[in-house]
Amino acid sequence: MTQPTVHKAPVPAPPGAGARRPGVSPSRGTPGPLRRALRFVTPGASADAGGAALYRRWWLPWLWMTPAIIGATVFGVFPFLNTVVVSFTDAKPLGGAYDVVGLENYRRMLGDPDFWVATRNSLLYALFVVPLMVLLPLLLAILVEKNLPGIGFFRSAFYTPVLASSVVVGLSWQWLLSDQGLVNTWLQKAHLVREAIPFLSDSWLILLSAMGLTLWKGLGWYMIFYLAALGNVPRELHEAAAVDGAGAARRFWHITVPGVRQSMMLVGTLTGIGSLRVFTEIYMLGGATGGPGGADRTLPFYIRDVGLDPLTGNAGYGAAVSVALFALTLGLTLLAQRLTKEDEA
Amino acid sequence: MRARRLTGSLTCLVVLTLTAAACGLAGGGSDGGDATAGGCKVDKGNVGSGKLSGEVKGKITFQTTNLKKDFGKYFNGVIDAFEQAHPGTTVNWIDDPGDATFTQRLVADAQGCTLPDVVNINVNTAVALTKNGYLLNLDDKAPDAGKPFTPALWKSSMYADADGRKVHSVLPWYSGGIVQTFNTDLMKKAGLDPAKPPTTVLGLFDDAEKIAKASGGEYYAFLANPQLRIPADWQQMGIKILSPDGKKFTFADDPKTAQWVEAMTKLYKAGGMPRDSLSSTQDPANVYGQGKLVYGPTNPNFLRFIQQNNPSVYKKTGVAPFMLDALGHTVGAPQYIGTASTSKNASTALAFARFLTNAENQLAWAKDPNVVIFPSTTASLNDPFFQSVKGDDPFAEARKIVASDRKTATADEIALTPGELNAISAQIQLAMQGKKSAEDALKEAQSKANRLIEQGS
Repeated sequence: MTQPTVHKAPVPAPPGAGARRPGVSPSRGTPGPLRRALRFVTPGASADAGGAALYRRWWLPWLWMTPAIIGATVFGVFPFLNTVVVSFTDAKPLGGAYDVVGLENYRRMLGDPDFWVATRNSLLYALFVVPLMVLLPLLLAILVEKNLPGIGFFRSAFYTPVLASSVVVGLSWQWLLSDQGLVNTWLQKAHLVREAIPFLSDSWLILLSAMGLTLWKGLGWYMIFYLAALGNVPRELHEAAAVDGAGAARRFWHITVPGVRQSMMLVGTLTGIGSLRVFTEIYMLGGATGGPGGADRTLPFYIRDVGLDPLTGNAGYGAAVSVALFALTLGLTLLAQRLTKEDEA
Repeated sequence: MRARRLTGSLTCLVVLTLTAAACGLAGGGSDGGDATAGGCKVDKGNVGSGKLSGEVKGKITFQTTNLKKDFGKYFNGVIDAFEQAHPGTTVNWIDDPGDATFTQRLVADAQGCTLPDVVNINVNTAVALTKNGYLLNLDDKAPDAGKPFTPALWKSSMYADADGRKVHSVLPWYSGGIVQTFNTDLMKKAGLDPAKPPTTVLGLFDDAEKIAKASGGEYYAFLANPQLRIPADWQQMGIKILSPDGKKFTFADDPKTAQWVEAMTKLYKAGGMPRDSLSSTQDPANVYGQGKLVYGPTNPNFLRFIQQNNPSVYKKTGVAPFMLDALGHTVGAPQYIGTASTSKNASTALAFARFLTNAENQLAWAKDPNVVIFPSTTASLNDPFFQSVKGDDPFAEARKIVASDRKTATADEIALTPGELNAISAQIQLAMQGKKSAEDALKEAQSKANRLIEQGS
């Protein structure tokens, strides 16, 4: 390994020299090149890590990370801690004087039936959307993986909903699902139903339709994830399995799924978090009240209703519900991780 | 800048005589000492009693809400005229898109002591800004400011200040007006006489029942979402929605409200309203334009929309005065112009606000063929432009009707916050679905809405 000549002499490279840490470099040794050089070696780097290491100041990585750390602190850590603090007060969305109310907001939350409806809806959302969102895009990816002529068109077509604005998609779905919309007209023409299905006025159907909308809009996005992952599944395994007489289904479960397992976990976590944050779909299909009687409100919807209204909102209570949403998200993520770990063991 | 220094020096003089303290230490007389409004340091002349004094000079910022795109020429004309009439003034015009977070954003500006000097606001924002003291109290600062406006409108354009006292803090500006619009063809089909539109809210529901029976699902009376009808229907019926101090809702205590909910429920079940519009965000203007609704939106501007987008429906559209019912006049908050109490050039700001809302300038804008707005000043409403309207198309009819309606219209429209409106509507939706009785739904609605007032105060 070639080293810049300037540093060649002072840095000894006997076996085991890597154990020498800058912290223990002799303070009374000859001041000069050796000491300087040793100080500049990053902790744990073996001497033959090469010349680049010699230029690495200990603070250099921190310097590169600074913008990201500042961003994360200002827009992530601080607002989060602030939310926790605010949740113990009766602060208003517009600021001004507030009182510390202790656990009052949490007590109110646990006793509020609307909170439980919202929690139920959010959990149902995760329960239905996550498994489907883990599996369907994978099937879609397998479908468009092969390099057939014109496959680009299909890949793009599946990806289009991702690019469309939620509001535009929501409006299209409104038209599709209304009593005189496309879906009901077809069903009635095909004599599958006599009366229009109340997709947009029955609270359960609104929730299901919103889930469908989330799925449809997300499929393309996660399909891209899986397309990338599928490229890493060794083709030889498939060929070998095919030679041994394994069918398509068997190859899917025993080769493809284990091969993209990491991606599935990632997609599961991302969609789990995403499905607890649903707002737009409910708003577009269920209106400003969140379905008739507010029965389709999710936790973010509920937070908006109780916490964000500039004149009658209670930011403290909204913050308490946000903390609950955070706990729920974190809890589900940890649970999912533990389940997958046990699975592996 | 000279005006600022002048007010500064005057303030120093006052402070000096009162406290015999040296003024130079307090900041060189550039700012008005220790007067505050909503937590911001302001010139002393801007708060407390006594008329606003000081020269009309210097630079001010004027903010409109989503008007720059269409009316640049008009506003630049008004600004030029003002600057010419008052040499040494500069008006810097900015335009806010006016989206859902408008109030929040503007109040945040105010809290940062950077509220534009002259600002176009709606009722909700006026309530929030007045409550926190960010607008000049015109009763003190310009006692004659109300003269040009219609008395009914001026008297009702008052909002509570920090002490809960109702004050004039805004100048009424333009409003859209309110009329009944309906599809005369469909009305005749349903056996109704377009020459005899309803004059009460419950009368409208009686007619709508007939529509439900005759239509067979082909067309509807109006959309179902109660959000589209409250609190306007209730206020028109003479229902007391809020207690006089504004701290409690009282609508559930009036049996008329339950009658209204029952009428909504009955009509919904009878198919007089599209089933899927119960909670939806559908725009009634679009559905009316498709020829599926008998009654259209009540905003005259909507006639322009229909004229452009559905000329065939426009031709069939009839117009009539809005149902005055028990109230006897219509209500509708206009757009407002507020002057910031945090302004460094308050005299200039107030002068511009009054100039912008004077009869001449309001009339000039109302004559713009691209708008359907009605002025708040008596003199402009008396202008031949509104008094001798030619033609008998729906649009001309509406202009005549609204212009005369404006003279008695008041601004004390109950403005529910989005949170209150959602909480109340949600319960009425449940009643309409038959999941709750009208009384239970209203009781629950009232307690939920009261909880919101409580947590917001």
